[in-house]
Amino acid sequence: MKKNIFGVLISCLMLTAFSASATVDAGQAKAFVEKVTQEGLVDIINSNVSQQEKDRRFEKLFNEALDLKFIGQFVLGRYWRTATPEQKKEFIEVYRQLNVKTWSKRFDEFRGKKFIFNGTSPSSSANQIFVNSSVPMDQGNPASVVWRVKQSGNSFKIVDIIIENVSLAITARNEYTAFIKKSPNGIDGLIKDLKAKVQQN
Amino acid sequence: MLSKYSFLLAVLLSGTAFGVHAAEDNSDWLESYNRAVFNFNYQLDKYTLKPIAKGYRAVTTPDIRNRVNSALFNVIEPVSAGNHALQGNGQKAVTSVARFLINSTLGLGGMFDVAEGWGLKKDRTNFDETLATWCVPDGPFFMMPILGPTTPRALTGTAVGAVSNPVYLSTLNDANYSDKITWSYTAVDAIASRERSLDLLDDLEKNSVDFYTTVRSAYMQNRQALRQLCGTAKDDGKASYDFDFEIEDEDEF
Repeated sequence: MKKNIFGVLISCLMLTAFSASATVDAGQAKAFVEKVTQEGLVDIINSNVSQQEKDRRFEKLFNEALDLKFIGQFVLGRYWRTATPEQKKEFIEVYRQLNVKTWSKRFDEFRGKKFIFNGTSPSSSANQIFVNSSVPMDQGNPASVVWRVKQSGNSFKIVDIIIENVSLAITARNEYTAFIKKSPNGIDGLIKDLKAKVQQN
Repeated sequence: MLSKYSFLLAVLLSGTAFGVHAAEDNSDWLESYNRAVFNFNYQLDKYTLKPIAKGYRAVTTPDIRNRVNSALFNVIEPVSAGNHALQGNGQKAVTSVARFLINSTLGLGGMFDVAEGWGLKKDRTNFDETLATWCVPDGPFFMMPILGPTTPRALTGTAVGAVSNPVYLSTLNDANYSDKITWSYTAVDAIASRERSLDLLDDLEKNSVDFYTTVRSAYMQNRQALRQLCGTAKDDGKASYDFDFEIEDEDEF
């Protein structure tokens, strides 16, 4: 009997979660991601401007399109709560810098390729939706790239990028929480290492 | 020696008890063993397979590598056919057989994918996916010396894949050449597959503060996605990467 009540409760929760995601405007979310990828490929990667200008444009696009404060807060997991305001600020900034560098390189590999959009799927989190796309590859099956988009009011932000089933947010969270757990200097140790990564990249 | 095997057996048998959840990931109960093997594999790769794969890339053009990869994939097309059949997918099994016959002959030993142009799309599968279709649980993540990241189910899939490989089967009765052919094929396959993953692994390593955890996390997220193959999965069609992505309180700071 207890199990049944649990079952009902859980399905109620899931229903509210799904109906919550229905408030996301799927068409607009898809249009938003299409615009971002279009801008990334046409105006940046395939354009005839200097590398410096490309980097500048990419950083601007990246800052506008992604909610890195939201992602950064998630990836620190339970350590976010124990971090000081300075550590939070410093972490988000270095995390942003590293991601700008990483993704501008990754996007560069999509040079000459295009994203094919295959509709959207609901998410179990409120105000979020998945925009599905794939990139045809020279060899093998097309790579699947899924964009998790969060809507607040009329504004849309990307909160996760899932390439071939691997989520940026989950991977970073696993990695960073494992690092902090081992590091004698906790979050400061992580920030220091991330800064070194930014320099190397 | 015995204890080593009984340890492995224990790992294989205990598989069912450990489900791995992507977002809350505290289930690496073999972590210290896994990290040790990971470091060993990493060093081994650094001084053997990786430089060979880089050398292979340096002396070949992308087109040559594409032909090699195509031929290697063609060899195991019958394995896909058999597994499609085991998964109850007759249509796909027939397509795989047709692809193998066409590409092995007109495609010059599989170097060219002629069948794809005729609308026979490639759709590779393996015994691990068959087990996933049969809802066999994956079991815990662990590192195998040399082979790398795996799970009990993945390892079973690899073993069955190896003994059902046409190269292995067709040379089985030839005492003189069996070993030579099988080992040469395995070496070529290993080098080509390492070359394919050079950029991806370099990219992951360069951006990672804990490479072991990154590899483990990415590997397990891929495994998680295979759960969808099981018809009675409890996920209700929820994508494997659809975790509860809410933060408690969006602070201002």
